[in-house]
Amino acid sequence: MKFLCVALMLALISCNPEKQWQLHEIIGHLPDLHFSLLSDTGQPVTEQTYQGYLVMLFFGFTNCKAECPTTLFRLANIVRRLGDHANRTRILFVTLDPGHDTPEVLQRYLTAFDAGHAIGLTGNEGAIEDIAKRYRAAFRLKKSDSGDIVHSAAVYVFDPQGHARLLITPADTTETVEDDLRHLLDSFRP
Amino acid sequence: MNPLQWLIPWETSFAIAAVTAITAMLFIKGSLRCKLLFRQKLYFWAGLLSLYVVSHTQIDYYAEHEFFVHQLQSLVLHHLGPFLIVLACPKDALSAGCPVAVKRLIRKVSAWKPVQDSIKVLFHPVTAVTGFVGLLIFWLLPSIHFIAMLDWRIYRLMNWSMVLNGLMFWGVALNPDSIRSPGSRISMMLSVVPPQILIGALIFFAPHELYPIYTLCGRAFTGISSTTDQQIGGLILWTQGAMMSVIGILIVIRKELRQPLMER
Repeated sequence: MKFLCVALMLALISCNPEKQWQLHEIIGHLPDLHFSLLSDTGQPVTEQTYQGYLVMLFFGFTNCKAECPTTLFRLANIVRRLGDHANRTRILFVTLDPGHDTPEVLQRYLTAFDAGHAIGLTGNEGAIEDIAKRYRAAFRLKKSDSGDIVHSAAVYVFDPQGHARLLITPADTTETVEDDLRHLLDSFRP
Repeated sequence: MNPLQWLIPWETSFAIAAVTAITAMLFIKGSLRCKLLFRQKLYFWAGLLSLYVVSHTQIDYYAEHEFFVHQLQSLVLHHLGPFLIVLACPKDALSAGCPVAVKRLIRKVSAWKPVQDSIKVLFHPVTAVTGFVGLLIFWLLPSIHFIAMLDWRIYRLMNWSMVLNGLMFWGVALNPDSIRSPGSRISMMLSVVPPQILIGALIFFAPHELYPIYTLCGRAFTGISSTTDQQIGGLILWTQGAMMSVIGILIVIRKELRQPLMER
C-alpha cells in the first residue's frame, strides 16, 4: 500500500504542469534536515540551531583540490548577491574527513570564503555517515593519507522550516540559483 | 573493510530481512517433507542468497553510488536471482512448508474469479514480455531514475518490482505447463532480447551523461569517470540481459528433448 502511494505520488509529480522552480525540486523525496554534529566553534549543533534559516548543505573536505573550493566560492558569491536575504541564509559544510578536519581547521578554511554565513560541521564517523546516508551522499572513511575521498557534487537546499526543497547542481548558473533562493526566501517572509 | 562488515546492511530493511527469512524457513520445512533433488536445493539457495546479498549488504552502497554496479544489481534482481529460484521449481516445497491455515487462505483467494482473471492476464505471454521490458525501460528513464536513486522509498519500490516481475516472467517462460507451448515460451525469451540490446546500446553510445544523479550524490569509485561508468552499465545490459534469455532457451530446449525419452 505504501509503495502504491509513492507510485501515485510519482505519477502526480511528473504530470504537474506548474513548475515554478528552475533548480531540481526534491520536495517530498528527501527527509527533513536532521543531524547532531559539532560546529567549527566546537559547539554541539543540531537542525534546531538553524531553524528559521535557509540552509545550503553540502559535503566535502578541506584538502579537496577542485570541487569543494569552487562550490564554496560559488555559494559565498550567491549569498552576497542575496543582499538583505543573506542574513537568513546559512551554508553548512559537512566534512567527510573528520580525522583531519577539526573545528579549528574548518573555521580557518571557511573564513577564507564567507566568515559570516558559512559554517563547518564535523563529528564522529557514525554521525557523519548518518547525515550522508540520509541525503544519499557518498561517504566511505578515508583509509590512508594518499587515498582519495569520494563526495557528492550536489548542494541540498532546505527551507527555513527544515524541509528539503531544491538541489543545486554544478550545471546551474549563479543567476538561476539566486532567483530560486530569493523566491524560496520570499515565500517564508518572517 | 573486514569481510564480515560487508554483510552489514547499508540501509536496513525489515521487509527484505523478513521476506528472505520466511521464504528460507518455508523452504527448509518443505524440503524435509518433499523429496528434492540436490540441484533444486542448490538453485534455490543460490537464487535467494544472491537476491539478499545484492540488496541487503554493503553492496547496496555501491549500487546506489555507481551506475554500473546498479546495473549489476538489477541484473541479479530481475534476471539471475528469480531465474535460479524458478529453475529450482520450489513451488511444492514452499507449499509443503506453509502452515495449513495459510494454504487454505491461498486456495480460497486463488479460487476467487477476479483473482483468477488477473492471474490469467498477468501471466499471459504478451503481458509478461511487455511488463518485463516496460519495467526495465521505466526505471531507466533518466527523470524516473533520478528520483528513484534519491528517494529511498521509490528505490525500494524499484528493487521489489524488479524481483517480483522477474519471478513472474521467468516463472512463465521456464516452467513447462499445459497452457503454453515450449515454442511460445522460447518466443517470450527471444522477444525480450532485442529491446535489452537496444537500451544497452543507447546507454553505451549516449554522447552525454544520462544519469547525473550518480555525480550529484557522489560516485563510489574515484578512478572511474562518469562516461566510463555509464558505458560499462550500458554494456552490462547489452550483453548480460540477452545472455540470460539464451541460457533460458537452452534449458527449455534441453527439457523438451529429454521429454520423449522419459515418457518411453
